[in-house]
Amino acid sequence: MTNTLTFLGIESSCDDTAAAIVRHTPGAAPEILSSVVMGQTALHADFGGVVPEIAARAHAERLDICVEQVLAETGIALKSLDGIAVTAGPGLIGGVLSGVMCAKGLSAGSGVPMVGVNHLAGHALTPRLTDQLSFPYLMLLVSGGHCQFLIVHGSDHFTRLGGTIDDAPGEAFDKTAKILGLGQPGGPIVERHAQNGDEKRFRLPRPLLDRPGCDMSFSGLKTAVLRARDSVIAEKGGLTEQDRDDLCAGFQRAVSDVLAEKTRRALVDYLALNPVEPTLAVAGGVAANTQIRAVLETVSLENGTAFTAPPLALCTDNAAMIAWAGMERFRAGDRSDMTLAARPRWPLDQSSPSMLGSGKKGAKA
Amino acid sequence: MLRKPMILAFDTSAAHCAAALLSGDEVLAERFEPMTKGQAERLMVLLSEILIEANTGWEELTALAVGVGPGNFTGVRISVSAVRGLSLSLGIPAIGVTGFEALVYGLERPVAATIDARRNQVYWQQFTTAEVLQAEIIDGSEAESRAKGQLLTLVGDQNRPPLFSTANAIARVAATRLGDPVQKPAPLYLRAADAAPPRDPAPKILQ
Repeated sequence: MTNTLTFLGIESSCDDTAAAIVRHTPGAAPEILSSVVMGQTALHADFGGVVPEIAARAHAERLDICVEQVLAETGIALKSLDGIAVTAGPGLIGGVLSGVMCAKGLSAGSGVPMVGVNHLAGHALTPRLTDQLSFPYLMLLVSGGHCQFLIVHGSDHFTRLGGTIDDAPGEAFDKTAKILGLGQPGGPIVERHAQNGDEKRFRLPRPLLDRPGCDMSFSGLKTAVLRARDSVIAEKGGLTEQDRDDLCAGFQRAVSDVLAEKTRRALVDYLALNPVEPTLAVAGGVAANTQIRAVLETVSLENGTAFTAPPLALCTDNAAMIAWAGMERFRAGDRSDMTLAARPRWPLDQSSPSMLGSGKKGAKA
Repeated sequence: MLRKPMILAFDTSAAHCAAALLSGDEVLAERFEPMTKGQAERLMVLLSEILIEANTGWEELTALAVGVGPGNFTGVRISVSAVRGLSLSLGIPAIGVTGFEALVYGLERPVAATIDARRNQVYWQQFTTAEVLQAEIIDGSEAESRAKGQLLTLVGDQNRPPLFSTANAIARVAATRLGDPVQKPAPLYLRAADAAPPRDPAPKILQ
């Protein structure tokens, strides 16, 4: 008998429906046998953001199809799997619920154990799936819905050093694209326009750089882009292509500067732990931005820290990371029963005070 | 000897968790638990309890049946997602049954089924002797005037009760469709998602 595990992962917490099968034998590199992601960009395009009800409707009718696809691609029978890992939060509750219920149906009918996984843990543990990083490493999770620095001590042990107190950078990219009349998603399109722009022309703020710590804010930056746009429009009656490109470049540089400086501070806290192989890993869709990646790499190297970014398909939402996180938790003894609940809020670091949505329902992330 | 088909039906399209196990014409076990929330945590446990009560197991089932609404969007998705997962893992068909079909099952036509849609509206579907008309969402006052204008039995909501309880009826409707081409159950919403296009217009781009 070997300790090889083969896991199905299921993800539906935002606007991607995904399934994947991952296999791992201790001592060897994990293998992603199949990974399917069905995006919903077109469904939400008219609304300038993800509409929760539209997302939930799509997930409910796509989840089992994604699962069928990965089973067919690998030729693996559901019953022969060792576990089913499903995102149980945090995220848009309608989609998470559909994923959890689909997983329960799969588990009940096959007898394969189920593990509810934290979506953020999926992202945070991805460097172990791709690069077999050892604990502790520093993680910058930067996406459309999240932005936080985490020290990853173990598969269920995270220290949050700081994060955004309002918008996530991906959201700011989307809103900037919208303000400038560009398409969605904003990340790649703003980056493309920024290439032709002059990043020094518009003076945009670097929020919270004057404060100690690793907390960030991106909401004011987006408003500053709107003000700058409006003053150009007031002057000329519209925007030229160059105005637009310059605004994109200025915005992207501001985000890069903030992330670079806050990373520098996070590294100080992290390096104080004297990690054997100091490493900064990034995940999330914003990690696909070339300029942001470059500044983070530079800051890491300046601080004697290795830098790693998983391939883009594993930076953005996917189910391979959920299968992997589920496997790590399963090995640690985690099992979920049929009462598993979908959680809209589920912070990874349960001890640090919450930053977002600190109402009576508790922290969001 | 041919075994009687065994159908497990369930529904969470409103403030309840309902399930029934039908074998041929006989209900082996049935539950109806009113609850305004917590269906997602309760449903699968309830189904296990029903199977245990009937002294049977998942592998004995011939088909699954599910209420696809209309009703509470989240509630409908809880059951539809679960049934699709179960169908895949058990390798048996899942049959979607609308709330209207369940309400009129066994009743004489013409009949119209009504389901509370909140906001002073009702989901409405009319079954004439010859055909089934398009399901729709209408104002409560419109439903009343429609009912007055014709000799029509109204079932559901504030009107006459159906012949069978929710899950029992869903199972019975599904039994009439065993052997039909398999189609994955999908929620019947009838009301569009609440979403508005962005208000601020895009800036004018100068050439």
